[in-house]
Amino acid sequence: MTMKTLSLLVVDDDPVIRLLLCQRLTKDNHMVSAVDKGQDALGLLRGDAQFDALITDLVLPDMDGIAVLEVAKSLRPTIEALVITGHASVDSAVEAMKKGAVDYLTKPINFDELSLRLDHIAIRQGLAKDARDILLAKEVTEQEAASTIQALEMRVSELQDALTAAAAILRDGGRDQEDKISQALAILNRT
Amino acid sequence: MLKITAGEIKTVSQYIKDISGIYLDASKGYLLETRLSPLAEALDCKNYSELQHKASRDASKKIERQIIDAISTNETLFFRDKGPFELLQYKLLPELIDARSGGALKRQLRVWSAASSTGQELYSVAIVIRELLQGNLGKYNFHLLGTDISDNAVQQASYGKYNKFEIERGLDQAVLRKYFTAFGDSWKVRDELRAMVKFQKFNLMQPFTGLGKFDIILCRNVAIYFTMDDRKKLFAKLADSLADDGFLVIGSTESLTGICSRFEPKRHLRSIFYQKK
Ligand SMILES: C[S@@+](CC[C@H](N)C(=O)[O-])C[C@H]1O[C@@H](n2cnc3c(N)ncnc32)[C@H](O)[C@@H]1O
Repeated sequence: MTMKTLSLLVVDDDPVIRLLLCQRLTKDNHMVSAVDKGQDALGLLRGDAQFDALITDLVLPDMDGIAVLEVAKSLRPTIEALVITGHASVDSAVEAMKKGAVDYLTKPINFDELSLRLDHIAIRQGLAKDARDILLAKEVTEQEAASTIQALEMRVSELQDALTAAAAILRDGGRDQEDKISQALAILNRT
Repeated sequence: MLKITAGEIKTVSQYIKDISGIYLDASKGYLLETRLSPLAEALDCKNYSELQHKASRDASKKIERQIIDAISTNETLFFRDKGPFELLQYKLLPELIDARSGGALKRQLRVWSAASSTGQELYSVAIVIRELLQGNLGKYNFHLLGTDISDNAVQQASYGKYNKFEIERGLDQAVLRKYFTAFGDSWKVRDELRAMVKFQKFNLMQPFTGLGKFDIILCRNVAIYFTMDDRKKLFAKLADSLADDGFLVIGSTESLTGICSRFEPKRHLRSIFYQKK
């Protein structure tokens, strides 16, 4: 199995947390884009960059973290989302999970815990990719096999018909032997 | 995971062949283990022989059914291989409708998906029929039957509910919107499509008494699990169940060479179908 490097979008208005997140996640071999506003995150999500996961604070200066999550999910249905919440607001974390977040972290952030959660996401995405690759490979192999088998099936049927016709001529009494043989050979040579 | 012994591989696979026709040779021990260990453990069996004995003694046949559900490969998708459904839409169904039209009575047109698994194959046929006939569907008397040996598969097919992974495979957006409705995270077949089909449990190893004749039979990707001998018996029974001018469609990587000489292969575009000689 392939352990993927994840492409992550981090949204947090606290510059210290943003910096710490970037350092740790980069050290864990992920690629990180970090922004401080919800609108900036949405801008990136609407662009060309591919993100595997979104990590967002639920409280942002310009908009609600849950709204960021909802838009992210609608723009990129396969994106995984982790939300960060204040210690006292587990309710909003539950709300976020209902809206499609896979998990939440409470502040202060435990970075080892975050690493573990991201490992799980990477493993899951790796498995999903492997499954898609296998399906694709199976389809290609099946198509190839199907056209070979179909060609053989038609060919066998033609040969069978020719053999039956040749046998009928040879069996047919009352005609000149040489004539029968040359007629049967003519049929066999044609196929 | 509960380990299987060489002796058990032999007896358990013989038992599975007896109840379903599904043939697993000695190299398939791992398959028995991965598929049967959860059931064996749930039933508190010390080993696979005990599971087999429990199953044979169980008069309700519940364990036998659970074993079949666990062993059968239900892998399927909507419009699998595409080609056969184009074949149905542009050749087989129009020819059949032509042959059965005329006369005062609405003649029955019977289609059978002989190993329907979770139903995608038969619903795909129903979609093709609706697309072909549009508003004229009422002029014809279509009977679409799907059968499978697996209770779970028949149940899901009857319910007509598919999760987003099942839906993603083979259905395009326009067809999805037209024939399915969102149901939580999943999708449900719309009533008008559901009403066209019927699913029931049936073991292809049994005699086909009472099934009647069919105009189109799809028997795809199931005979591959049987021995040569059982395949021969199966296709002989299918030949008996097919109308003289009916059509048989098998899996795209399957062949009837050496299995049944009563059928003749015919090619249309990218697909092959069979008719009785
Ligand atoms: C791989 S699926 C094929 C589904 C579909 N026909 C297709 O091609 O996509 C094989 C199905 O055959 C069923 N099956 C296996 N043995 C059977 C038997 N003896 N009688 C009826 N169905 C059987 C399994 O339960 C499974 O659902």
